[in-house]
Amino acid sequence: MEKHELSPEESLTIIRQSIANFKMNFKEYAMYFLLWGWMLTFASFSNFIILRILHAREAYELMGPLSLGNWGVFGLTGFIIQLFMDRKISRNKKVHSHLEGYIRNIWMVAAIGFFVGTFVCFQLNIDPPPIMLLIAGVATTTSGVMIKFKPVIVGGIVFFVFSIATSFVHNEYIALLTGAAILLGYVIPGYYLKSAKE
Amino acid sequence: MYKDLDPLIHSQLRLAIISMLVASEKVDFTHIQEETQAAAGNISIQIKKLQEAGYIHVEKTFKDNYPKTMVSITKKGAKAFEAYVRELQKYINPK
Repeated sequence: MEKHELSPEESLTIIRQSIANFKMNFKEYAMYFLLWGWMLTFASFSNFIILRILHAREAYELMGPLSLGNWGVFGLTGFIIQLFMDRKISRNKKVHSHLEGYIRNIWMVAAIGFFVGTFVCFQLNIDPPPIMLLIAGVATTTSGVMIKFKPVIVGGIVFFVFSIATSFVHNEYIALLTGAAILLGYVIPGYYLKSAKE
Repeated sequence: MYKDLDPLIHSQLRLAIISMLVASEKVDFTHIQEETQAAAGNISIQIKKLQEAGYIHVEKTFKDNYPKTMVSITKKGAKAFEAYVRELQKYINPK
């Protein structure tokens, strides 16, 4: 860079260029959507199969513990994979943007919401999916609006619709609808993010 | 000539560095080098000046046994940048 006194116009151009050069890393963001999207889709559909088998055998007392165990296995697996992913991403990351920080905070608050929501639902003896999908809807729509990416916004709205839908069905069909919601709300927007230009 | 403009910010390379930091939580030294196309030595000198003024924070770690330098703006730096932009506007739109 040349050494000369900058004019105010030149200064403004430098500021504009430096800020405009920042690009949101959609591919990195897509990895999280796809990880949790597939994990939770498999968790929901396997839960549907487990509940269907237990229903046919009239083993109603096993439904709660097996269902919880199934969610736990997928949740823990996802969490462990994410720890490794975070480590790898953080090691190679060159720019930590404010926007990424805000989105990370939204999902951290959503994660707390998922835990508290699950606890409250068990205490009130109600099925957690409608509440979980509602929290996922809030976090997904907000993230989509912040990154200005329509498929993620639509994914968030899908969660709201399925949150209402799951409150009208019972037992294993809640798991089936939850799986469909996650497929449409996380997995499909995740692939759109993966193929999007930064 | 532009005596109201903070001389620490009013330099091509330092302004580019600080503008980059305003838009991010923290930025890797190599990213600054890629974006500004300036020599590493020159960037180091400018970063040191900004750090000594308390405008930026420099964090040195290791990645695969290689040093990794992350730079972020401080509150003092953000305020100085805001003041610089305000002064700049006075020159561009004098009223």
